[in-house]
Amino acid sequence: MKTVIVFKWAKNPQDARVSADGSVDWRSAKMSVSDDDAAAAAVVLDIAGDGDIVGLTLGNGDATWAAARGASSTVSVTDAEPNADSAATAAVLAAGVRHIGEADVVVVGDCAWDQMVPVSLAAQLGWPALAGVLSATPEGDHLRVTRRTAAGAQVVDVSTPVVLVVAARRAEQTTPGMKQVLAARKKPLEKVTTATLGVTHDCGVRVRGTELPEATVARVIDGTDPAAAVEQLLAALRSEGVL
Amino acid sequence: MNMDSWIIVTEDGPIAGMVAAARGLGGSVTAAVVGSRALADAVAVTGPDTVRWFATDDVVPPEAIAGRVADEIAATSPRVVLSLGNPAARVLLAVAAARLGAAVVNSVPRLTTEADAVVITRPAVEDKVVETLEVAGALAGVFDGEDVEQGTPVAATVSAVPDADVRASMRIVETTTTGGESAGLLQADRVVGVGLGIRRKDDLAMVEELAAASHAEIACSLPLSDDMRWYDASHVVGTSSSQISPDLYIAVGVSGQPQHMSGVRNAKVVVAINNDPDATIFKKCDYGILGDLYQIVPALTAALKET
Repeated sequence: MKTVIVFKWAKNPQDARVSADGSVDWRSAKMSVSDDDAAAAAVVLDIAGDGDIVGLTLGNGDATWAAARGASSTVSVTDAEPNADSAATAAVLAAGVRHIGEADVVVVGDCAWDQMVPVSLAAQLGWPALAGVLSATPEGDHLRVTRRTAAGAQVVDVSTPVVLVVAARRAEQTTPGMKQVLAARKKPLEKVTTATLGVTHDCGVRVRGTELPEATVARVIDGTDPAAAVEQLLAALRSEGVL
Repeated sequence: MNMDSWIIVTEDGPIAGMVAAARGLGGSVTAAVVGSRALADAVAVTGPDTVRWFATDDVVPPEAIAGRVADEIAATSPRVVLSLGNPAARVLLAVAAARLGAAVVNSVPRLTTEADAVVITRPAVEDKVVETLEVAGALAGVFDGEDVEQGTPVAATVSAVPDADVRASMRIVETTTTGGESAGLLQADRVVGVGLGIRRKDDLAMVEELAAASHAEIACSLPLSDDMRWYDASHVVGTSSSQISPDLYIAVGVSGQPQHMSGVRNAKVVVAINNDPDATIFKKCDYGILGDLYQIVPALTAALKET
């Protein structure tokens, strides 16, 4: 199966700078991989078999991440930035998938930083999608996908094309070694722009601004005297009406 | 200006809160319920005007009929479509959004209208700021605000949407339920959460005694299940596990990592017991006791038993 892995399409909010006036500066924040990207890469290796794996990423960061994890080549949309309208970000990714062409499966991490981009990517491709995916195995030209549900887990048989949105259970277990990292730099990297992809999706969301939240300072009780601390806590909880 | 809205429901959650948020726009509220008749009936008493029920069974996952649900929604050209953040609902929301050409917003705790615009205020950048967004056209958003008490338990009419030929691109072949306890955790009014501040497995008895004394369910952070194997996965609360909304969450030896705290974002009151004054959780709780949990927890258990 020809598989596209979408990676490094969001910025880590930990890298944003918040000023005293509540404004946010994203300039120093690079495009980041999340734990979910790594989980997605692991799923890709399980389903790709002999098929080609192509990486797809946004922005101008280091684009060799997927190539060090099995991708034979990578497409980077260099002038695209994450958008407050998840549909606008997804439109760029969908154009990237169409540009790569003839993919059977698109695998993307179910990112807590923007949980609507991966599913919107599927919707804009017009492909079926499953989110909350934990693992997948090929079965003929179908896939057996295990995904989490509120009550436990489910195995779903899906035909292709399909978008699998993978949720990490934990941080990446085996990071690539120096050999894979060096080899990844020699693999083909195609740089494209939103203009060459013909992306015309307008942003439907206007950010009016940001401000600092009202200070909700926790009341921290000194626990040196446990009995007294507990008494204070219980009094507070009773006045909150939760005991 | 059209302020009609739809909500998409595939499983239980703070649905009355979502209906109330949609209701605040001033237009009609229609619920698309994808699942069992029992779920449709439960949604009918949370305050929508009408409920459209799309039946699924043990074989058809909600995602398999995303196109049909989107057709039904798009036919009425609503201004706003909301869903909860569970995986199946997000897939359906995205398809409806694409059909409507709607802007998509990944976190919508509160909605208001100003003239013709829909305005969203929400925490952003890991809760360090409050962001205000404005949407001039159609909006599809993930509701992650608080639940409300249901004021009018008058049931809306539930009408079943007839089965259409489902394109068999998806089929459920196996369903496993991990422990019967997770349902209890999801519904619980009080929850005691355990983190890596607990040193030995034997010490969990102390925490379980606190849970018993406070009539609480037990939850844990991911490492206690995945690395230590002290609890099975149904107890894990966090980003890619269960999201809970108890009145009271007592975090014992929990550092407060975002991956865990996102699972208790909708708890009414969060209490932290931790001996590290720099622990992140002291910035994310309502009350904290800075001290040795091995002294505080037994003292709290004893005090709760007396009351």
